[in-house]
Amino acid sequence: MVKFAHVSKNFGDIKALQDISFTVEKGEFVFITGPSGAGKTTLLKLILREILPNSGQIIFDGRDIVNLPEKSIPYLRQKIGVVFQDYKVINERTVKENVEVPLAVAGINQDEWEARVNQVLKLIGLDKRSKLFPLQLSGGELQRVSLARALVINPKLILADEPTGNLDWETADAIMDLFEKINKEGKTVIMATHNKHVVEKLKKRVIHINEGKLVGHGEKRKLKVKVEEV
Amino acid sequence: MPNIHLKTALDYIKRSPFQALAALFVLTLTFFVGTMMAVLVYSSGNLLKYFETRPQIIAFLKDEITPEQVSALQNKLTNDTRVKEVRYVSKEEALEIYKQATSDNPLLSELVSPTIFPASLEFSVSSLAFAQEVINEVKKEGIVDSVGFTANLGGEKTLQDVVGRLRTITRYLRVGGGILVGILAGISLLIILVITGMRITTRKGEIEILDLIGATPGFIRSPIIIEALIYSSVGAFAGWLLAFLLWLYATPSIVSYFGEIPVLPKVPLSFFAIFATILGGELLVGFGLALAGSFLAVSRARRNR
Repeated sequence: MVKFAHVSKNFGDIKALQDISFTVEKGEFVFITGPSGAGKTTLLKLILREILPNSGQIIFDGRDIVNLPEKSIPYLRQKIGVVFQDYKVINERTVKENVEVPLAVAGINQDEWEARVNQVLKLIGLDKRSKLFPLQLSGGELQRVSLARALVINPKLILADEPTGNLDWETADAIMDLFEKINKEGKTVIMATHNKHVVEKLKKRVIHINEGKLVGHGEKRKLKVKVEEV
Repeated sequence: MPNIHLKTALDYIKRSPFQALAALFVLTLTFFVGTMMAVLVYSSGNLLKYFETRPQIIAFLKDEITPEQVSALQNKLTNDTRVKEVRYVSKEEALEIYKQATSDNPLLSELVSPTIFPASLEFSVSSLAFAQEVINEVKKEGIVDSVGFTANLGGEKTLQDVVGRLRTITRYLRVGGGILVGILAGISLLIILVITGMRITTRKGEIEILDLIGATPGFIRSPIIIEALIYSSVGAFAGWLLAFLLWLYATPSIVSYFGEIPVLPKVPLSFFAIFATILGGELLVGFGLALAGSFLAVSRARRNR
């Protein structure tokens, strides 16, 4: 599903990522871990083609996204659901309208919106909050909206950048349960986090990076490298 | 369910009503002045055309002429391709015309007899370019006493003066009106640019989110362009409607004042056709302004990102 081959990315003199190679299979749940500034978000931004690497190859869904033409980037992003630490919901739109936006972006027929939005809101437990505005919701609920928006277009891959970063442990637990549920339904999930409890709870494959270098990968319980705590 | 872009555009208009009012006011003013100037230019053009193509020249004939001499000159003029609509006005007919002209003061007509009025040959020229040479030629005819014109503005002595003065007025109207409308259109464009720019700034977060979830540049631009189109089309229609109502109210008085000079169409259908054409043109100009303003603002925002 996703393959990094000798990928490096510099920001001026700062080496954000150095010679990173790994593969994520279809249906897998992978944590990208490492301390702040390790390069986790840079890695996700590369998959989303927000930025380009200085060298190396990134394959998503069988296609080299480094050489993707500019005009094809929106269509690449439409195949990926993204969940952000700061939720990135549109405050001027209701929960339902926020979830409808990706459907409009992807050009899905409006007749299908109602059913798809209701289904996904029910899945994440926000069906009774659909008419509320983001400012009327808690942090956990906002993250659910972000997740619902990512799921509604039925993406091939879900990228989550510190989705529990702004949440208390109980809410974070509930959100992680949702991610696990979604993964069990066949979605590939790549989640960047430095939350040790989250990683330990799900016991999924971990790709650990530090100072831009891949320092280990494998299942959490077998991983010898130290996963930084929050 | 309304289109998501239209809904977004309407939401933004509702959220910042004063910006919307400013844009609508300026655009309405632009198109109001535009419509007024368009009709004025049309009317002055008609007035000029009327005097250019229908200069009534009157050749006053000497008293002692014979009917044969009159017929000979009338035939000569009729056969001249530069001349049209030749008409003989006898002394009696001249008195009748005088009586009609002085009907508000019967004393004036009681004091005159047909003998004091000269018979005349009235005619028009097909083009103003021939007027002076035809007049000069007619003046040389032995039976012609003098030559005059029915058109007379501001005491001008020759036909060229009359038409020249009209041409100047029309030119001033066209150039002045054009400059005025141009300045207002420029202000409208700036207003659209400023409002669109502000909209992009306030939507910065939303635009970033849309970009990240795969919205195409066209999708992101659409509500901004639709909003500008709403301002321009509503402004164009409101400005046009105000001017239309004003002209509709004033037209009977104008038509009656100018008499047979067709400054404005007397047939309602033609009148409405002119205003429909102006509305069509203004909507096109409005769309052009909206598209130019919003595209400029969007491309500027993209450059600054």
